[in-house]
Amino acid sequence: MSVSRVSRWVVAVPMAALAVATIYPLVFTTNVALKTRHEYVLDRLSPAGSPRLDNLATAWHSVGMARYFANSLIVVTCAVALLLVIGSMAGFALGRLRFRGSRVLFLGCLAALFVPFQVIMVPLARTMTTLGLIDTHPGLVLAYVAQFLPFTIFLMASYYAHVPTEIVDAARIDGNTLFGVYRRIMLPLGTPALISVGILNALFCWNDVLIALLMMPSARNRTLMVGVTSLRGQYSDDIPTFAAGVLIAAVPVLMIYLFFQRHIAEGVTAGSTKG
Amino acid sequence: MFRRTTAERLAPYALVAPAVLIIVVLRLYPLVLGVNFSFTGDGERDGTAVGLDNYAVLFGDPLFLGALRNVGLLVLLLPVAVAIPGLLATFIYLRVPGHRFFRGAYFFPAVLSPVIVGAVFNLLLAFDGPVNAVLGTVGLGPVDWLGDPDVAIYAVVGVHVWATFGMALVVFLAGFATLDSSLLDAARIDGASLPRVIWHVIVPGLSRTIQFVVVTTMIGMLTSMFGLLYVMTGGGPGGTTYLPEYYIWIQQGQMNRPALASAASTVLFLVMVVVGLLQISVLRRSGRAD
Repeated sequence: MSVSRVSRWVVAVPMAALAVATIYPLVFTTNVALKTRHEYVLDRLSPAGSPRLDNLATAWHSVGMARYFANSLIVVTCAVALLLVIGSMAGFALGRLRFRGSRVLFLGCLAALFVPFQVIMVPLARTMTTLGLIDTHPGLVLAYVAQFLPFTIFLMASYYAHVPTEIVDAARIDGNTLFGVYRRIMLPLGTPALISVGILNALFCWNDVLIALLMMPSARNRTLMVGVTSLRGQYSDDIPTFAAGVLIAAVPVLMIYLFFQRHIAEGVTAGSTKG
Repeated sequence: MFRRTTAERLAPYALVAPAVLIIVVLRLYPLVLGVNFSFTGDGERDGTAVGLDNYAVLFGDPLFLGALRNVGLLVLLLPVAVAIPGLLATFIYLRVPGHRFFRGAYFFPAVLSPVIVGAVFNLLLAFDGPVNAVLGTVGLGPVDWLGDPDVAIYAVVGVHVWATFGMALVVFLAGFATLDSSLLDAARIDGASLPRVIWHVIVPGLSRTIQFVVVTTMIGMLTSMFGLLYVMTGGGPGGTTYLPEYYIWIQQGQMNRPALASAASTVLFLVMVVVGLLQISVLRRSGRAD
């Protein structure tokens, strides 16, 4: 293609500027979190004179961030574990096995993929209240599982569809039950897909605010993201502490991004290249 | 080929049972329940049938009409939101210097929660914040990004695009991996210019990917901006940054009008169905063209 060396650099410069624009906001926030209030008021942009961790400690201890963090960690861990177990079981059955009604069930799961949470949130809140699950950890876990299960099944089913039938048949001849095939063969075989789907689901649940807001009305049950939304009001005159709280909430996600970037991209694109 | 016991014949159903139970009870049934619910009353008329009253209230409410107008605005901005990551993916695919770094940098905001993104941009876009400070050094502004009714919705949508274009970019790059590179080589030998190559080789070759990005971007705009609105504007100033999802939340969570919220949910669902059907018809047409 007629893209000369020069024109490549002409494109690279604005692209570099855009890269700065995607990274800088978090650098700015980090810098603010390390400043004193006085420093921030004097100059917002200058690097923190003597970086201090006081603000992080204040944010962590004073407004229940530690508690919110624990809430999020418990709920996300349980939700992801359930999603992987239930989703891989259903994905194996719907993607690899043929049985009466399998096609209808698969289409039903796909249909659920196109029902956004906003459309069902009012009746869901009612149902959860009736079941006594509103404002409880199991209730929020269940809401997350229901929300992200169709996507999980879809990805696991399309992964297992590529497993040769002979592997299943051979295992059956060796005397395995279907559950045995799932547990001894399909689970280990599905590890790469399970990692991708698991990380994506962890991100979705960790980052959610609407479902948590709806399911957990009381302050002590807040998840970390809901907690962050309440920080602003409390620290409207202490921006560095506010920035520190935001940073604490972002750190786990940044870790996941740094270590698992490839897996996240694989999960995101899995749906686009098929069919 | 195997002698199957009853238990073994039922095993596939046991494998899907938990998933089906959860999806039916907590996803599909609430959809039916919600549509039903939208034809009943709130408050004193709780549980009684009120016909289309909720819908009449809805379409007489300037806040909801404003939310629908903003949906129209999002549809108008959709081509831009798809073209930006598409063009950037093209340059990365063509191995612009630093392409590996750009890919990682652009994708990075996509993993952040809208709450984090919104909180960060609250600081950046504050009236006395750094963005206005930088604009001031070149003699522009200051702009009241989140306080000016004519500007706020663009600011929020801009932040949404900032936060999500990396997601679409990665999808585009996956599409490029399936592109027949011999076509690109042929175009190069013919000496075609980059705009011509994009229009005649890349766009037709990536039609499926483009459709996928269009639909997921539209769904994202309609259903994943709540966090930003909640943190950045709270629907304001003057109700100018409402979207249907935010309206539903306000009616359900703040105003205690669940039936009205259900009617808004049903309208949002119909909007999504229309988007979905348009997608299918486009798919069919391009399928015939193949």
